[in-house]
Amino acid sequence: MSRPILDHQLEGYLDESLSADELTAIEGRLRADPALMDRLLAIIRRRDAGIHTLSEIWRRHRLSCPGREQLGSYLLGAMDDSDQAYVRFHIETVGCRYCMANLEDLREAARREEASRTVERRRRYFESSAGYLRRRPD
Amino acid sequence: MSSGSQVDNLLVQRIREGDDGAWRELIARYEGRLLAFAESRLRRRASSEDIVQESFIGFLNSLPNYDGRRSLESYLFSICAYKLTDHLRREGRRPTIPLASSRETGGERQVEGAARGASSIARSGERRELEEKAIVESLGEQIARWKERGDWTKLMCVELLVVCGWANKEVAARLGISEQQVANFKFDFLARLKSILKRRDLNEDVFPELHVDDRRGGNA
Repeated sequence: MSRPILDHQLEGYLDESLSADELTAIEGRLRADPALMDRLLAIIRRRDAGIHTLSEIWRRHRLSCPGREQLGSYLLGAMDDSDQAYVRFHIETVGCRYCMANLEDLREAARREEASRTVERRRRYFESSAGYLRRRPD
Repeated sequence: MSSGSQVDNLLVQRIREGDDGAWRELIARYEGRLLAFAESRLRRRASSEDIVQESFIGFLNSLPNYDGRRSLESYLFSICAYKLTDHLRREGRRPTIPLASSRETGGERQVEGAARGASSIARSGERRELEEKAIVESLGEQIARWKERGDWTKLMCVELLVVCGWANKEVAARLGISEQQVANFKFDFLARLKSILKRRDLNEDVFPELHVDDRRGGNA
């Protein structure tokens, strides 16, 4: 049996702030479950009435998100164990989509940098060694 | 992130003055993370690039309303999320939301659409902003203090309770602490927030979570 969907998740669904897998799962459940759709509507009405929730404010202002530099250190494994564990928790357990996007962007940038370093290294190897190439006598 | 904010504010100022170079710089700085955000949902590169393009245009169109106190990255993500939901709805992936619970009317509304109720207008002004600002400041200080002191368990506990809405029992199991500890963290956290709102003469009734019956020693 699938896990019940919490109101906090429905709020995150409205704001597109959950992980992509979670959002897709909620979309599927909303189609099949009118009661869940009613709960979503109740949240929209509550928002329309100007009632806040701490969850929405926390997510919207990204109050506990690590900075981009910290995410870079996390990727390099250059943080203290406890800091590293918190960032992993924030990404994997809380499923912060904004931090996931930042992390993916940093990974991609690192891949590009590595690719450009590889090209540069090969060029340098070639240029420094090409003069030693001996042509076979015809 | 404060140095980043200063850089962002200068960048936005130059963009407001019509500086092409600054606009290029903003695109270079943010396109990657926005693209990753859109692509994680759409799984298609071309559509994701379109969404990011629309987001940048949306940013320029909304620039006169952009408040520099807000994080630029969060602002761009919110525009991107809006474009994304719009796209998903057009594609039929995101279910349309029936108007209120009156499915019989066959009416439809867009989530976060323009048609807001009068009560929203009544509460959408200064008061609401003050409440939100008080919460942001108070939570921000609290979280910064936990991080500084290395109180990671407390931070993770409150994040699971408040952001994810987990029950005390689940939080205790995930973090390997007792339910009593979870209840105590929750009690202290909510009591502090209530007292801050009261000190600022703000109405705590507009935060439903502050009224959870979770006395110290009890379980939610």
